[in-house]
Amino acid sequence: MVMEINVSEMKRVQLFEVIGRVDSTNAGELGAALDKTVDEGRSNLVLDLSNVEYMSSAGLREMVRVLKRVKRGGGDLRLANPSDRVKEVLELAGLDTIFEIYPTQVEAVGSF
Amino acid sequence: MGEVSRLVIVARLEEVRHACDFVVEEAEAARLDKRAVYHCQMAVDEALTNIIEHGYDYHGDNSEIEILCETEPTRFLITIVDESPAFDPLAHHSPDPTEPLDSREPGGWGIYFIRKLMDDVRYQRIDNRNYLILSKNRPAAITGVQPDESEETFPVRFLDGGAVVISPIGRLDSNTSPVLERALTSQLQKGHFRLFVDMPDVEYIASSGLKVLVSAWRRAQDGGGNVVLSGLQPRIREIFEMVGFDMLFEIFPDLDTALAQKS
Repeated sequence: MVMEINVSEMKRVQLFEVIGRVDSTNAGELGAALDKTVDEGRSNLVLDLSNVEYMSSAGLREMVRVLKRVKRGGGDLRLANPSDRVKEVLELAGLDTIFEIYPTQVEAVGSF
Repeated sequence: MGEVSRLVIVARLEEVRHACDFVVEEAEAARLDKRAVYHCQMAVDEALTNIIEHGYDYHGDNSEIEILCETEPTRFLITIVDESPAFDPLAHHSPDPTEPLDSREPGGWGIYFIRKLMDDVRYQRIDNRNYLILSKNRPAAITGVQPDESEETFPVRFLDGGAVVISPIGRLDSNTSPVLERALTSQLQKGHFRLFVDMPDVEYIASSGLKVLVSAWRRAQDGGGNVVLSGLQPRIREIFEMVGFDMLFEIFPDLDTALAQKS
């Protein structure tokens, strides 16, 4: 298993739990999973990153792309519980000011 | 000059992961801390991805990229050598992290991360090859006395009748699986073959953790015993099912049930 995405449909939010490693070989897969939900008309998304052990810029690029897309439709893509390593990378790219980041999944889902 | 380790990959994205594993191993051997190891992994990933996507334009199937790791007293060096057209990543300007969302360009972040995450980055073009040399400093603390890791351990309980319960906590990844391995091995070496691994506090398990459990299971079976698992969180249980290890291990919902069934 390199990356797994568990999708749960909640009342107001679509929750994506990503597990494993997000890099240039599978970032597109993550983007496609998010796009599919947006295509279906849902634009409030939560990405639970607590089990992402590694993320490269390819993953961040997909996240930013989808964030732009959902914002246009009045939605948002919010992040839950990134690891310290992933958080550091988000901060380096200035993405901690662009994404709303919550310490837990419950808080991220509840924020909508 | 330190000893040089070398890995050659085909210039394909699917190969990058092997290079990352290689660099992680070498960086750990150089005793960089977890954060620095992560930085090295990411810098190499970004550099190789750039070479494959842009240098070879995804047509690198017949080309090779060489990755060299070298540990010097004060720094850990990663050199990446490829034969794609000359490209100096350092000559390109970096994106701006303060840029608001609307005006953000998607690209360029790979090189930005390489420069931010490593202590020194150099580029040279020699004999029609690109040489990218990434350097991470080794703190003085780790170049001298090595810390004693043998004290790091998980709770172990001895039950009447010779069974042993080991309760790993947190993440079982390539950094922490050796701790579980030590705990299991030390019991197996003492002839304790009836082992219970109680896992309600395990939040994550990587292949390294699975490997440790399977090799202990095998040794316990050889000794006429067993490694029995209990208390797996749903996410962990799912991983076991995905790799088919639920067929291999006896797994119980909690430790009490496991003990009641197996004692």
